[in-house]
Amino acid sequence: MALRSLNLPGVGTKYEFETDKGDTVAIFFTKTGIIQMYTLQKGCKTPSAAEMSPVEARRLGNILTGAIIEADQESVEIAFSALADLRITIHTFFVTPAVVGKTIEDLQIRAKTGATVIAVCRHDRNIINPPPTFAFEEGDAALVIGESDQIKTFEREIMVN
Amino acid sequence: MESLVLALFVCLVLALITKYLSIPAIPFYILAGVILGKAGGGMLTTNEISHFFSEMGLIFLLFFMGLGLKPERIASNRTAVLASGIIDLNINMIIGFAAAYLLGFSLMESVIIASAFYISSTAMALTSLIENRKLMLRESDTVIWLMVFEDLVLIIFLAIISAGNQNLVFFLIKILAVLGVLYALAHYGKEFLVSILDRDDELPILFTFAAVLITASFALYLGVPETMMVIALGVAFATTDPDAFEQHARPFKDVFLVVFFVFFGVTVDFSGGANWFVIGAISILAVVSKLISGLLTGMFIHGSALSGLEIWANTIARGEFSIALAVIYGSPVVGTTIAAMVIVTSIVGSFVAKYSGILRRGIVSHGRHRALRRGH
Repeated sequence: MALRSLNLPGVGTKYEFETDKGDTVAIFFTKTGIIQMYTLQKGCKTPSAAEMSPVEARRLGNILTGAIIEADQESVEIAFSALADLRITIHTFFVTPAVVGKTIEDLQIRAKTGATVIAVCRHDRNIINPPPTFAFEEGDAALVIGESDQIKTFEREIMVN
Repeated sequence: MESLVLALFVCLVLALITKYLSIPAIPFYILAGVILGKAGGGMLTTNEISHFFSEMGLIFLLFFMGLGLKPERIASNRTAVLASGIIDLNINMIIGFAAAYLLGFSLMESVIIASAFYISSTAMALTSLIENRKLMLRESDTVIWLMVFEDLVLIIFLAIISAGNQNLVFFLIKILAVLGVLYALAHYGKEFLVSILDRDDELPILFTFAAVLITASFALYLGVPETMMVIALGVAFATTDPDAFEQHARPFKDVFLVVFFVFFGVTVDFSGGANWFVIGAISILAVVSKLISGLLTGMFIHGSALSGLEIWANTIARGEFSIALAVIYGSPVVGTTIAAMVIVTSIVGSFVAKYSGILRRGIVSHGRHRALRRGH
């Protein structure tokens, strides 16, 4: 797996990456803002290309990191290769009737799941780092951070219960 | 004023159409100028305002070129840039010069035509690589560096020509001195420049515009042509935050350059005294000569004539720099010839670049076919 990055004058930045099996993936961040991704199968001469907007590219990135993407819930997984492959997932949840009216303390989120609620979006306003006394309301969207197992536990134990 | 409004309106419509069809807009801007200008009964006429806009277009084009020129980058890629660049320079300059001279242009006119003939359109080449999704091809790198090399040659060429009757050595020293001063200003004022560029208000864009204009107007006092001054400013600013400068100068460049193309078209006169044989010969040779240099580059750098075909496809189009040369130095006849060459090569180029994949596959399968028949 070899990753090369290259600055192309007038065009933008190129990242080229060869897989162990010999396929090549090249990604170009062009100055016009669009992102082009090329894949070239081993032994093949013509690459195929896809053009993406920055939002689409980020979406694709999330899929590639292995995070789950659903219609309206989204998660991002960040891997820190330098820290013994530490992988952190951030997931959005729309609150379910099971938690409406309860505080973070009542739900014992940290103790039961190990995950942490880092932000809540309420009526297009963001509450960052809600205190333990914070009570969920209907329509809230919660941003939860943790390892992917902790996120799954959160979904099972807190949101469905 | 009406001329300018009409020109802008026509350009807007043309831009919409050409972007929708993803074909280059430059030839159509020029054609619009030609049709609405002398040939079209003078609906468009040049005046003081259009002249000012055109000059701004030229200045910002050259400023942009300077911004993109990063000397250390070229130094780190010397072999790739040099080999293809020298082939391209020699073949096209020689063919262009010989053709122009033999067709009856004077020595000086032939030099200008040869240079316009040599320099491909960086804008069209890069757009074609992106829009036709060719960035991953190995030939693309060659094309991109070729454009950098051509820009460099253009600067040297501008320096030599604009020296005119002055002593060349003295003139070059003067340019280097200007460059040195601008470099020093950019170097020692870097923090100040970056702090200005980071702001959200009108300051960054106002500063960029003013810096370019003030530098250009200083040219008068220093006896250095404004073309060289703004390129030098671009090169010096490129050491601070070139992306921010590009972002702030882009609106000016985009609008002024379009006006520049249209009013260049207005000055072109195909009706009276145009020698169609000469114009046709130069235009066709412009396509052929890039084919020769492209094939040689392909064989020399990539070991394949097919690669050469791909390089050719993306470098056929002449554009903004050829026109800039015509405007700065060309006589009306030279201007008309270059205009025709730009129109023909950019239209041919855009189609060849779009269908080069099919062309390559066709040649490969044809070759295979022949080999098979020979085998039987």
